[in-house]
Amino acid sequence: MQYLSIKKEEWDKTIEQLLLSYIIFAAEENEFGIDYEVVNPSNITRISYNRAKPATSLKTFFLPVKENVTTDPSVKKQRIILGAPNCDIQGLKLLDEIYLDKDFNDLFYREKRENTILIAIDCFEKQPHCHCTSYGIKPWSTDDSDLAAILIDDMIILRLISPKGEEFVKQFSLVHALNDSKFISAIEKAQNASESLLFESNQGLPDYKSTGSIVKKAGGAIWKKYSANCVSCGACATICPTCTCFLLIDKPGFEKIKQLDACQYPGFERVAGGEDSLYELPNRFRNRYMCKYAWKPEKFNSTACTGCGRCIEACIGKINKNEMFMELVK
Amino acid sequence: MLNGKNIYKPIKARLTEVIDESPVIKTFVLIPEHEFSFKTGQFIELSVDGIGEAPFTPSSSPHVADKLEVTVMKTGYVTEIMHSLKPGAFMGIRGPFGRGYPVEDFFGKEVIILGGGCGLAPIRSLLYALEHVKDKLAKVILCYGSKTPADCVYKPLFNRLNKIEKFEAYRTVDKPDDEWDGAVGVVTTLLDNIRINLKNSVAVVCGPPIMMKFGTIRFLEMGYKDDQIYLSMEKNMSCGLGKCGHCMMGEFFVCKDGPVFTYNELKNTPDIWK
Repeated sequence: MQYLSIKKEEWDKTIEQLLLSYIIFAAEENEFGIDYEVVNPSNITRISYNRAKPATSLKTFFLPVKENVTTDPSVKKQRIILGAPNCDIQGLKLLDEIYLDKDFNDLFYREKRENTILIAIDCFEKQPHCHCTSYGIKPWSTDDSDLAAILIDDMIILRLISPKGEEFVKQFSLVHALNDSKFISAIEKAQNASESLLFESNQGLPDYKSTGSIVKKAGGAIWKKYSANCVSCGACATICPTCTCFLLIDKPGFEKIKQLDACQYPGFERVAGGEDSLYELPNRFRNRYMCKYAWKPEKFNSTACTGCGRCIEACIGKINKNEMFMELVK
Repeated sequence: MLNGKNIYKPIKARLTEVIDESPVIKTFVLIPEHEFSFKTGQFIELSVDGIGEAPFTPSSSPHVADKLEVTVMKTGYVTEIMHSLKPGAFMGIRGPFGRGYPVEDFFGKEVIILGGGCGLAPIRSLLYALEHVKDKLAKVILCYGSKTPADCVYKPLFNRLNKIEKFEAYRTVDKPDDEWDGAVGVVTTLLDNIRINLKNSVAVVCGPPIMMKFGTIRFLEMGYKDDQIYLSMEKNMSCGLGKCGHCMMGEFFVCKDGPVFTYNELKNTPDIWK
């Protein structure tokens, strides 16, 4: 891969200049951890590098919680998202398959995808529930983003990933080709350490090739046990980088509002006649796992669980799907 | 607006006539403001402005280009408001969506159709489509059941069908009234007396889930193979585009992969009758 370098100080100035022509969202440190914020000149120095995932998943930028889908889908200003972890970037592949499919192209999603520069970060640390490597995903991006930005000492190292990313960096005059191999060595060392840590802490967790048959074989008792603490709040689906279900809400003037929905909400599959195959809570609970590990893999080429662990973090019932999988493979 | 069709935006259609079919079922005759066509068995999302939309399979002929008929049973919030609409009102249409009946695959064959309740709506469209190609079909038999004689929709249809060469139509009711002199019993009992060349036949089932289940079981008992039975599935189709997830049935999106499936495609999918 090709790397470029720029002094951190110059990089921060470059970001400030980019604010004139782009809306920039970046992962930033705040009092609760790391999450995306709209960048302005005063918070550029708080942008986080080399850290693990932000609290919000990347899908939110492409599938907003609520969106009027009967208006003009054009994006008014180009966007830069800085700080996307590879788990979320891999999650976008499934969204692309669903929303950019050849039969029904979603103009609203497409516009946002085409008008966004996606700058990844390398995760040189892990959060307690991160398990991307268990599902074949590395904690750094080498495809499907445009660039990756890594902070080593006082330098920002840019990994060129897409032609769009290469074109984008051409506008930065102070970016240089990276000739010093010590930076590459430092990056590789940190990447390997992070990957090893992820493997070690998730030992025994079944991989994505076997999770499908595991959930298919799971008996009713396991769904009953693990759904006992579920309050159907839908947090797991809302925060998931690959859950994309939505509801269309009608507004006067034949307008439609697309609003994120979750199969964990009661009534998700209820038809007007009253039939509801997901009426029972354990059935609803099982549905999400079947969707992620059995049905989506049969229908799509992309991974429907990227191992980000946010569903575990977000669950107020403290349901840990990794504990469930460990119990299932015992 | 960008080039390309906005898949979420409905086209407006003027309601020109409302036909009372039964105490709870009405047919809406609509003239879309833009060109609109569909294949029999495909469905549309029909909306009431500012209220909501629901999926329906048009009950009119796919060969009639200028108007569209949709038969609606009053079952919930949106359909109740639909039933209060008067001619002159505007409704919204999105679609058509999904995979309809593969009429060309029926050429040369005897088609037996089992329908129940409001399931006759998509079947009527199919019957029109089959009538259009009747020279290419061996036979068409309709077996239809309703709860009571009053619940039967499209009453004139049966006499009309029986006058068409190669077509036969039979009715039964669960609960007869004083004037009813036809068959009594669940719809599958009509299959006991029909004559059909099973090997050169296809079966179509459309109706409430419980009727679909027992209809399919009955056809299997009669000796129909899994891929000879066509089912029109009902799920909570919302976007119609294979995206919103509400109609997922196993790995299938009913809205995009269906709503018409062969039993062979669905037999290993759990909860298909719920």
